[in-house]
Amino acid sequence: MTVDSFLPTGLLGPKPIVSPPAFVSNGLLGDSSIPTLDTEPFTCISDAPHSQSVPHSSDNTSEDDAPSPGPLASSQDAFLSVSDILGLKSNFKENPESCTASRVLIHPRASLRATTFNGKLVFIPRKPRVMIPQKSSPMANLLDVPIHRLMDELSVSATSSTITPTSKPDASHRPLDDMLWVDQYRPQRFTELLGNERVAREVMAWVKQWDWCVFGKRRNKKRHREDDQNYDPEDEYHRPREKLLLISGPPGLGKTTLTHVIAAQAGYEAVEINASDTRSAQSVEDRVRPILESGSTIGSTKPVLLIVDEIDGATGGGDNSNGFVQKLVSLTFDKPKKKRNVGAQKDKRPLLRPIICICNDLNAHSLAKLRPHAHQIRYTRPADIHIVKRLREICALEGLDADTSALSTLVNVAKGDLRGCLNTLQFIKSRNEDVTEELIRRATVGMKETDVTATAVLNEIFAPLSRKRIRELAISDMEEARYVNRLSRAVEALNNHPNIANGCFAHYMNCHRHEANMTRYETANEWLGTFDIISSAMYADGDFGLQAYLPYLLVSFHPLCRERAGKRVERDSTDWDNLLIKRTNENILKSLYDGICASGRNTGANRHLIMGQVLQLEFAPYINRIISPHLRPVNSQIIKPAERALLARLVEITVSLELRFVQERAEDGQMVYRLDPPVDVFVTYDGRRAPDIAISRYAVRHLIATEIDASLVTRQTVAVENVRPVHKKTAAREFDNAEDKTVDAEEQGPLERTQSFASDPGPLSKRTRTEKHVDIADKPPVDFFGRPVTIPKAAPTSVSKAKHQMNRVFQTTYRYREGNSAAVRKAVKVASFI
Amino acid sequence: MSLWVDRFRPKTLDELHYHQSLSTRLKALASSGDFPHILFYGPSGAGKKTRISCTLRQLFGSGVEKLKIDQRVFVSPSRRKIEINVVQSNYHIEITPSEAGNFDRVIIQELIKEIAQTQQVDVSAKQRFKVVVINEADTLSRDAQAALRRTMEKYMSNLRIILCANSTSRLIAPIKSRCLLIRVAAPSTEEMQTVLEHVAKKLKFDLPPEASCQIAEDAAGNMRKALLVFETLKMQSPDLSGPLNIAKPDWETYCHKIADLIVQEQSPERVMQVRAKFYELLSHCIPPTIILKTVADRVVERVDEALKADVMHWAAFYELRMRMGNKKIYHLEAWVVKIMCLYKHFTYNIDMSEFD
Repeated sequence: MTVDSFLPTGLLGPKPIVSPPAFVSNGLLGDSSIPTLDTEPFTCISDAPHSQSVPHSSDNTSEDDAPSPGPLASSQDAFLSVSDILGLKSNFKENPESCTASRVLIHPRASLRATTFNGKLVFIPRKPRVMIPQKSSPMANLLDVPIHRLMDELSVSATSSTITPTSKPDASHRPLDDMLWVDQYRPQRFTELLGNERVAREVMAWVKQWDWCVFGKRRNKKRHREDDQNYDPEDEYHRPREKLLLISGPPGLGKTTLTHVIAAQAGYEAVEINASDTRSAQSVEDRVRPILESGSTIGSTKPVLLIVDEIDGATGGGDNSNGFVQKLVSLTFDKPKKKRNVGAQKDKRPLLRPIICICNDLNAHSLAKLRPHAHQIRYTRPADIHIVKRLREICALEGLDADTSALSTLVNVAKGDLRGCLNTLQFIKSRNEDVTEELIRRATVGMKETDVTATAVLNEIFAPLSRKRIRELAISDMEEARYVNRLSRAVEALNNHPNIANGCFAHYMNCHRHEANMTRYETANEWLGTFDIISSAMYADGDFGLQAYLPYLLVSFHPLCRERAGKRVERDSTDWDNLLIKRTNENILKSLYDGICASGRNTGANRHLIMGQVLQLEFAPYINRIISPHLRPVNSQIIKPAERALLARLVEITVSLELRFVQERAEDGQMVYRLDPPVDVFVTYDGRRAPDIAISRYAVRHLIATEIDASLVTRQTVAVENVRPVHKKTAAREFDNAEDKTVDAEEQGPLERTQSFASDPGPLSKRTRTEKHVDIADKPPVDFFGRPVTIPKAAPTSVSKAKHQMNRVFQTTYRYREGNSAAVRKAVKVASFI
Repeated sequence: MSLWVDRFRPKTLDELHYHQSLSTRLKALASSGDFPHILFYGPSGAGKKTRISCTLRQLFGSGVEKLKIDQRVFVSPSRRKIEINVVQSNYHIEITPSEAGNFDRVIIQELIKEIAQTQQVDVSAKQRFKVVVINEADTLSRDAQAALRRTMEKYMSNLRIILCANSTSRLIAPIKSRCLLIRVAAPSTEEMQTVLEHVAKKLKFDLPPEASCQIAEDAAGNMRKALLVFETLKMQSPDLSGPLNIAKPDWETYCHKIADLIVQEQSPERVMQVRAKFYELLSHCIPPTIILKTVADRVVERVDEALKADVMHWAAFYELRMRMGNKKIYHLEAWVVKIMCLYKHFTYNIDMSEFD
């Protein structure tokens, strides 16, 4: 064997190597794998045949490790002795002569020099490797096997490995029977990762961005452009901009494995935190921070890479500022804090190690805080064909007879879940059976059923089984006809009966529309009604034993509505939408309710208006009509007396009910006045207002709104001063005769007045309340139970004190406002002007 | 100051305009010193609440009008918090247990016992007892009513209970037997007209008799509604002359539209249209039983004599189911489908079951 042939194949791979980082990434990209793909590259090249044998068995996981230490160790040993003898410290020259002659003369600090195809010299730096010296004699085992025998062995192993790429030539020898296959065949290195290469490379690229920060190496010129977007030149530690990586994808595809492999490949020590660990904010402080700050775990020289597995299950994500996720994110922000006050935060060191988070559901609520700060990568399901291929290899290794169709069925049922597939296969193997399709079918009953969506279940209910689905489920004609078990199990597996019922309700009307007879719908409604009664009985009485019966009530829709070529069931959110609207409207009613409570001659006088259903049935429709009279849009100064009276009355009512007109800009840019609370929804059906209510125009509403504001100002003045004359003045201008009013006012005294003013929102009401307190101070009030009434002190005493002061300071002042009816009119003699 | 409904609400028994005999009787009861538990019942808007507050004033004087609204929080056995509004004066307390839904029993047990076990503290009070007014008593659950019956007897010395209900049919017999039943009938058209005229006189404007007659007839015995309508009309057209256009509440108009849709055509498409309209009504917080009742009333008007009984029968049937169930829309639609079926069978006059 010549070394010429050795150079390209064994060592350098298909492409020339420029420098170590490039070399590593090159390894990722290349198809042919490199034997000892590692950031600490080559310790030595011991022997041509040996190094050549490595690439062939590189797909191999566990066995590959076995032969490699041998030559390495032996060469190291050889090196020790020979260097002792010769004292040679020069670079190792990789040419045929030196390779064969002085193959062991390597200094740990010396870099390797190699020649590429172009004749360029390449230096490969090396890391010191601590080796446990072998006790056996150094030279002995190197030469006891003749080269031709080694070559023979090599060719044999090469052929066997082409037959079964993941070659475990003799499965019987392995003592690993008690191991889970999932662990046994877990990929150990980057090249063994299955499927989705783009994702793997993306993750690797992200990890590589940390190299500068963690290993202190400058990034490669060639890759610089690509990294620019995530490279943060501001960062003094040369960290990438997004300091977290979030990988999401369905279970069983190998996300965890991927991260572990990449961590190892990139030269990190992976530290994993998963759902089995306590994950609280405290644990971030106690465990995560020390690990990240120390940079490496005890007894290891490698830097640490934190893997947070199953992060979507972490508690306290959402709004809780002390949650685990929140804390984790805050780790990445420590630096700016530190800059602000160096002294206080001295113990907080910046995050200098990569963190990879793994989750199943990217949109999980707990991840809301994390998502903006993380680089997100979606892990999708690899093509079935790759998984099948891998499964077939494993089956071959395990001596399990498996036909491809059976395996592809398995993969299909498992929806790409490799872990699930392997577990199933191992289970079959443990019973010493051959893998057939039927067996797979039996073994995978119940597997992954939770992934079905409500729409899929509904489609199953409403449509007869398609040919494809029949084949997929491998059921006979007999079984096809028997739908009850199949469907009830499907409904049960979804475990969301109300949802299915809603779907049935939304869709049953679409089936069999051509029939003149409606009895079919009648029956369907009967079932739905029964479902509703049973399920509400279940929730009301907490009798969840009834739950078992619910699926059967929905299954009955299958014989009723099954129709070939019927309309497909689509997601129907009408019910939900209406519920949301209803909630909004209930809130509007509630605020109207509060307004009414506070209005009236005295507190609670209007409560008979809001009892039961009176509010929405009688009050809401009429109040809308009351507050929208026919008014001409003119200046408030020049309107007719009759209209002025109308306006005054209108203002009075709206103010007392706490209705306001709020100015807003509509979507088209026009200013509009909106009623607040928007009680006009109760006269708006199908998006149209009732025809008998005049559409109040902007000008009119503007007029009313100004008047309301003016009236509020007046009330405020009254409330502050509690002076009666001013109040009388406003009262005198009211629509009705003033007598009745004043009689009322006299009768009730000042106390009631302040109470009715309490309807004003905001700080004003607080003020009046405190006043009320002062007013009745001489006679301590008792409540119904005879206890002294303590007024809930919304404002602290200091505030009320301030208000007392305000009362003292303020004199009676009148503010004249141009064109505003709130101004006080006063008879003035001409003489006063002269 | 406030709406007419509030402003012209009588405050004393003497001010009441109709059911004079009832007023004298209540006055006698209040002054006799032997005041019983009372159950007021009658249709909505007849004046039950007004009479209750007048009676209270007669009993305790104007002090009952000094009201205070509190929010009390109770904890149900299942650790759920229930908030209800409590209106109280020194002498009485007013609650609406139906605010608590299924947990009204807790309120009856805790609140009423708490009141019952303390005596009247105010020595100057006219009466030795306090009064608890329970609104919407007919919506009390069985448990709550059972909790009430013993309390009513045991704490008679400290406590009188005034119940206010639309009908007595949902109250259990033991409660009814412990109360003095007072029916407040809806006012007749003439009685309502006098009230409307009284209001007009107070406000010093002329109310044409035909207008008041029309308003009174439209309100159909609901005084509150009549006053609201009256005020609405006054706002819309201040002189109240000419033909009045009395607006129906919008939900009612909408329900009538639904009824028309049902009668016009019976098809799956129509059912879907009706469903959308039902959703619209429900989302406007209109109670489903009211919807069913209004639509059914209208449908009965429009269908043939032979079908009327059936329509009502099924409406009652599905209303019961609706009360038992949670998803009101299912039962509303079930009724619609049922009616459509009946209607089809009737109009084609053939039994289509053989086509199945």
